[in-house]
Amino acid sequence: MNYKSDKDLGLVLCSHCSKVSTIDVKICPRCNSKLKQRDEYSLLKTLSFSIIAIIFLVPANLLPMMYVTTLGVIEANTIFDGIVYFFQTKSYLIAFVIFVASIAVPIFKLAVLLYLLYITKYNKIELARNATRYYRIIKFIGKWSMLDIFVVALMIVMVQFENLSNISAGLAAVAFTIVVVMTMLATESFDTRQLWDKD
Amino acid sequence: MSENLENITICKDCGLVLNKPKVDYKHQFHCPRCNAIVYRFGQDYQVVLLFAITSIILFFPAIFLPLLSLEILELKQTTTLVETLLIFFSNGYTAISILITFIGVITPFCMLILILSILIPLKLGKDARFVSKPLKFYEHLLEWQMAEVYMISIIVSIIKLQKMATLSIGLGFYFFLGFLIMMFLTMSLFNPYDVWNDDELQK
Repeated sequence: MNYKSDKDLGLVLCSHCSKVSTIDVKICPRCNSKLKQRDEYSLLKTLSFSIIAIIFLVPANLLPMMYVTTLGVIEANTIFDGIVYFFQTKSYLIAFVIFVASIAVPIFKLAVLLYLLYITKYNKIELARNATRYYRIIKFIGKWSMLDIFVVALMIVMVQFENLSNISAGLAAVAFTIVVVMTMLATESFDTRQLWDKD
Repeated sequence: MSENLENITICKDCGLVLNKPKVDYKHQFHCPRCNAIVYRFGQDYQVVLLFAITSIILFFPAIFLPLLSLEILELKQTTTLVETLLIFFSNGYTAISILITFIGVITPFCMLILILSILIPLKLGKDARFVSKPLKFYEHLLEWQMAEVYMISIIVSIIKLQKMATLSIGLGFYFFLGFLIMMFLTMSLFNPYDVWNDDELQK
């Protein structure tokens, strides 16, 4: 099979309205968007967002996610404590959902991102088909890591009884939000077409 | 270039140059190399509009009716969505309020308004170019909207709270859940690329 990509033929696709133009056209004649065949900083952006995410992953897992005050007693909870709590109270499904959303998904996403960067950098085109599939998976599961953040935020909003019972957010919540947003930005800025380009 | 630019298309995921498939409402087309969807038609605009209008109608009772009431040791607290957010802005939990309001309330509502502002002009016979700006904005929001995650996290936090306090769920809660579900359905029925495909068909 002889495949021809847009790079070989000097064509460019409008990302907004899917119109095909030749490479010398800079503004899409149909919808006035800017045309660009590839973003040359795409790999660099993905790499830097991933590195920031990896750095913030440490405090996100070690620091307390929320402080629960009941009758004046303050209790600090990390992400992992939450999972253990649900496991002990026999809500296995929720324990599993939180474990997947807040521990498994971010780590899996970062691993896949680094793998994608490695493949692109060293031009392993024979792996591109599977790599594209992994990319679609991390793109789909990306936002589900926000689950734990929303749960904490919603609980803070719902429970406010001054000293009697009170919930407030810890620093891990901020760190974790940064991790999730950074991995989402990294996924956004990666362009799967680069996996298929031969240089 | 000998080939006519009108008759070819490029796969968004792998950059493969393809012959343009004949656009048709029943089938979808996948890229032969990377299996990405090249063409797929969503629902008819009329169906999408109906769904969007239903969710907007559900939105108003959802934010004004009492959401839930909590009881710990005879202290009772009833909240509506609007009240909660207003209290929190004044209490210094600004970041959390902004997060909750934006993800749960403002973004879904904005997206519904955007869908209306795209589809109503199209229904009235305007050109696709006319709605290009809201369409672009809609596509950006689509990547960052999290209504489905929000829905699940509401359920999780309620299960968590049930262990801490006596909790009774108000009418507003059901409206809010209904709103999120309807708006999620609206999003999945509406395919923004349809606008340009239709534009091409009409020529």
